[in-house]
Amino acid sequence: MGEIRIARQSDYDLFSPTTPIVIDNGGSTFRIGWAGESDPRIMFRNVAFRPRHRSTGETVTVVGEHDPALFKYFDCTRSSWRSPFDNNVVYQFEIMEYVLDYGFDRLGASSSMAGKVDHPILMTECICNPVYSRAKMAELLFETYGVPSVAFGVDAAFSYKYNQNLGICAEDGIALSIGFMTTHSIPILKGEPLPEGSCRTNVGGYHVTNYLKEVLSLKYPYHAPSITWEKAEELKREHCYVAPDYPSELQIFKKETKEAEEKKWVWQLPWVPPPQEELPSEEELARKAAIKEKQGQRLREMAAAKRSQKITDLENELHVLETLLSQLDEAELPEVASSILARSGYLSRQEIESAHSRVSQSLRKARGEPAVTVEENTDTATSADKYPLVSIPDEMLTPDQLKEKKRQIFLKTTSEGRLRAKQKRAEEEMMRERQNQLEEGRRLENPELYLEELRAKYKELSEKIDQRKRLKTNGNGNGNGNGTGNGNNVSGGTGRGERLNAAQRERMRLLTTALFDKGKGEDTFGLKDEDWQLYKLMSKDTDDDDDDVVNPDEAELERVAAKLQEFDPSFVGRAEAELMQSTQEPPRPRALTAEDYQVVLGVERFRCPEVLFQPGMIGEYQAGIDEIVSHSLRRLPNLDSSIKDRMCQSIIVTGGGSLLPGLEQRLETGIRATRPYLSPLKIVRAVDSVMDAWRGASVYAASELFSTQTFSLEDYNEKGEDWLKRCNIVYSLYD
Amino acid sequence: MEADVVRSEMVLPPVMPFKRVQMGDKYQKGQSRGRYWKHLKQLLQAENFISLPLDEPNYLNIESPPSMYPSKKYCDITGFEAPYVDPRTKLRYADPEVFKRVRNLPNDHVQRYLALRNAAVIIR
Repeated sequence: MGEIRIARQSDYDLFSPTTPIVIDNGGSTFRIGWAGESDPRIMFRNVAFRPRHRSTGETVTVVGEHDPALFKYFDCTRSSWRSPFDNNVVYQFEIMEYVLDYGFDRLGASSSMAGKVDHPILMTECICNPVYSRAKMAELLFETYGVPSVAFGVDAAFSYKYNQNLGICAEDGIALSIGFMTTHSIPILKGEPLPEGSCRTNVGGYHVTNYLKEVLSLKYPYHAPSITWEKAEELKREHCYVAPDYPSELQIFKKETKEAEEKKWVWQLPWVPPPQEELPSEEELARKAAIKEKQGQRLREMAAAKRSQKITDLENELHVLETLLSQLDEAELPEVASSILARSGYLSRQEIESAHSRVSQSLRKARGEPAVTVEENTDTATSADKYPLVSIPDEMLTPDQLKEKKRQIFLKTTSEGRLRAKQKRAEEEMMRERQNQLEEGRRLENPELYLEELRAKYKELSEKIDQRKRLKTNGNGNGNGNGTGNGNNVSGGTGRGERLNAAQRERMRLLTTALFDKGKGEDTFGLKDEDWQLYKLMSKDTDDDDDDVVNPDEAELERVAAKLQEFDPSFVGRAEAELMQSTQEPPRPRALTAEDYQVVLGVERFRCPEVLFQPGMIGEYQAGIDEIVSHSLRRLPNLDSSIKDRMCQSIIVTGGGSLLPGLEQRLETGIRATRPYLSPLKIVRAVDSVMDAWRGASVYAASELFSTQTFSLEDYNEKGEDWLKRCNIVYSLYD
Repeated sequence: MEADVVRSEMVLPPVMPFKRVQMGDKYQKGQSRGRYWKHLKQLLQAENFISLPLDEPNYLNIESPPSMYPSKKYCDITGFEAPYVDPRTKLRYADPEVFKRVRNLPNDHVQRYLALRNAAVIIR
């Protein structure tokens, strides 16, 4: 696009008020300069932006492109870049005014004392511009800028004239102008464009860039933020080309030949490999090991200290209990015994004994000796004691005791249940152990055979699971096809792949048959309360059934897969194989490689420009740019075919969109297909497709007769809008 | 204003010496100006081309008719020729591997692919 910052011109005052200012008001670029010069002074993107300045809060206006770093001072979230154009017609004159302000200012108009833009203006517009737009533009120029006189011209015609003067094309020809949003084909006869023969199709450079941007963003969703409009334009400019024959080019890429590889272009996004961790040096390692040792040592010492402390505590307690027991034994009288008991805090001798055994056990454990399994004895001994009431029949108990008995029964059954569960688990464990050992034995004795068996089992299981999945989707497909008979949707709206298992089908059947319209034309469901009982008949609409059925198989599959991974070096998991086929993976949580950050432009290089020739690819059911030439010629029935032949020998392709390589060749094949056999055809690209429109306009405005073609505010006021519609300039002023 | 912003002169000054009417006077602050401008569709309706003689060219006249060639169907994801359409998502695909990818697409990707082709169903 050129420099970001456009310098203000300083020679505005040097031009006399008769020198016209030439403006090429294009859909993508605005060019402004002085008549008679070979290049426009100022060029910028024809857009304006109204962000809010953060510190002052006021809304300011920015036109064209600027250094992106400066936008941090503005709040850019509420506003967006706006263009004055809708398709190729100017409709938003406020933005047009901002653009003109900026253009005139940079041209140096701010230095003049005139208080208005005191030069005639030649501005470009599209062919057959609606008169409302033209009128509003003229109003803007006359009333706001004080311009003395104005003329409007078609940019494609100016480009053609310019090339004609350079000798590239003849007096009669066709101008094919590929613009930003539209492409026009305008026949030129004796140097004048024929609006009645012109044809417009609504595809242009914008659509190509937009298509490229969308396709890349969808193909690489992880890199979507890097694929901006500007980047897409850059990629288009540098790497897109037009395929001479679209289907055969597609075939090259589909077959993935070497040629396809060469044509692919890889855009490497900036990527920094993660910093390599340096291996710590010998000293580091030794130091770290020493520190760890010391810490370990410290911990061990602390643990040992604690343990010895605990042991001494337990020993003390044991000692106390033993003295108590011995005291009890020595005590002959029951009163002495009970007093001793009361003092110690234990209720009976048994308690003391049980406490004693517990303490001695923990002591043994602390000392590291195997614990004696006295548990079971105590349990069995005390079960009768713990639940004394259980064995006594009901009639002999008081209500309180009954309650007590219930509680004891409950406790007994639960503890017995727990015991049984523990036993069962132990048994299962033993069985599994035995099986594992058997398998291990088999593996060791015959590894090959074992692996074979495992692989076969794996294949079987995975096939079963795949089949079930396929059945589900197929069954659903059939169901969808047949199930609209009753006017209800078959899909139960599970939202998760619309699987209809038996339960859901049953539900649907109930809904559709039992209660809905029986042909009388009225829906009476719900009038009776019993109708709603229907829902009780249905099973809950969940996927639990599926999960239960599938899980055992999948669990088995997991186990076999795990074993295979352990023993078989050539095993590749099913899930991994699938992942390897998909191409749009985000970088997974493994080490990222440079390839993850690459955007490959293969087919897209010529797929996007194809939009110009087949607008159907983006949903516009119009003719492609090669076809509109034939439409154009067909709209001139009064012209002799010899003239048409002459025109076809001088076809100029102009406009920004025509810079794609391979365009002329493709256009030639396309247009030749619509012309009579062996009629002459010659297609040339304009000398400078982007600038020629402005240059042609500049030459035009510099000619002496230009002032006869302009109109002033008085003209407009007197003659009105109708006249403005018909007011078209004569292009052959300077032949 | 910050120094770099002033230096770059990116912001339009509120008063321009070559204008007779300044922006601030023309467009009062606070009024919504966007809705004031007629879009192209409204412009064309207002033009009332039907009342004009048919052979005079106007903006609508010169529009291209639909293409003579039947439109070829291309795969939405890979761009190759696509003989098949996925009944659930209505996306076109070229062969079974692409079909797998089509089925694994998240829903908003599906809508964006369809919108590229102007085939997305817009529910308002």
